[in-house]
Amino acid sequence: MEGRYDVAIIGTGPAGVSAAITAKVRNKSVLLIGSADISDKVAKAHSIRNYPGLPDIAGSELAAKLQEHLRQMEIEITDRKVTMVYAMGDYYSLQIDQEFIEATSVILAIGVSFGKPLPGEDENLGRGVSYCATCDGALYRGKEAVIVGYAPKEEADARFLSELADKVTYIPVYKKDEMPADPAQLFPGIGNIEVVIAKPAAIEKRDGKMVLTTDQGEIISDGIFLLRESVSPGKLVPGLELDGNHVKVDRGMAANLPGLFAAGDITGTPYQYIKAAGEGNVAALSAVSYIDSRK
Amino acid sequence: MSVKKINSPEFAEAIKSGVAVVDFNATWCGPCRMLGPVLEELSEEMAGKVSFYAVDVDDNQDLAMEYGISSIPYVAVFKDGQKVDEQVGFVPKPAIQAFIERNL
Repeated sequence: MEGRYDVAIIGTGPAGVSAAITAKVRNKSVLLIGSADISDKVAKAHSIRNYPGLPDIAGSELAAKLQEHLRQMEIEITDRKVTMVYAMGDYYSLQIDQEFIEATSVILAIGVSFGKPLPGEDENLGRGVSYCATCDGALYRGKEAVIVGYAPKEEADARFLSELADKVTYIPVYKKDEMPADPAQLFPGIGNIEVVIAKPAAIEKRDGKMVLTTDQGEIISDGIFLLRESVSPGKLVPGLELDGNHVKVDRGMAANLPGLFAAGDITGTPYQYIKAAGEGNVAALSAVSYIDSRK
Repeated sequence: MSVKKINSPEFAEAIKSGVAVVDFNATWCGPCRMLGPVLEELSEEMAGKVSFYAVDVDDNQDLAMEYGISSIPYVAVFKDGQKVDEQVGFVPKPAIQAFIERNL
């Protein structure tokens, strides 16, 4: 779609799907972004026994039903990754790769899969720690950088950075079955990438250099790139107010930024599918009121 | 007033007196593209109190090096030539406005 969406919904678990359905029922233009196969946390549930109307349903069955519901409502899932959400005042801009998509309101339904930051990570973010090699890479011309890649697709960023930096140390911290059999052969033909198998433990700045402490010792460089699958909501949306690890919301699921709502596990416990679906509904209705109040 | 694009040769003269806000950015930087219009608005609203400048770090790597910039957008506040505060990354307008005002 050209132009600005009424509501962009990030996340395809029960909260995001529920929000998308309600927004569509209320005749709003909806952009639903997330895994096309429904959040894999749903499919992994062995059995769900407290979802009204669906007694003793397996997670995989619930995922299939959510997809069927989206199909019936003619809601498509955009299977791409949102890097950042910018509060622009009277609208939001979602960065997806190098593209910007605008929406009047945003519903965050991204769950709580993000891990804890490394000690020293938050303090040095933007001052030697970066989450985006394609964003900050050009500042590392002629320097040395470390990339911690949490999935094999981050290897592309290591290749990109190796064209700019003098030296790149690449640390793959993948799931067990994704780990490279022969790390030395990960980047054939690229002389300035060294692959190190290690477990990152902490980050600190020392004499203007960045020090990554690992179980294999210290690695010293000019900058450290942490390339994770998902980042915490406060980093995804600059200016967003949190309550611990969760987004702070009111009863209408509104966050501190006008037009931004959250639903599901991201707003706090209990982590229940039916609670997520209910919050998605409330968030969508609040977003609808917000959109209508601005017309 | 608006945000004036400057380069290394003009830099020292530009920040020499009064309060200057300098936005270090680059054309390929997404958050910079979002922050630019916000600073443009603030430069109108705060005209007379603060001068606003923009520096492309690709064209001015010496300045990026001098201020140890490793991530952009990097917004620095200068008072009579001295850097007094910095803000890294995109923040919404009320936050960047508060950041500038507390350095006035």
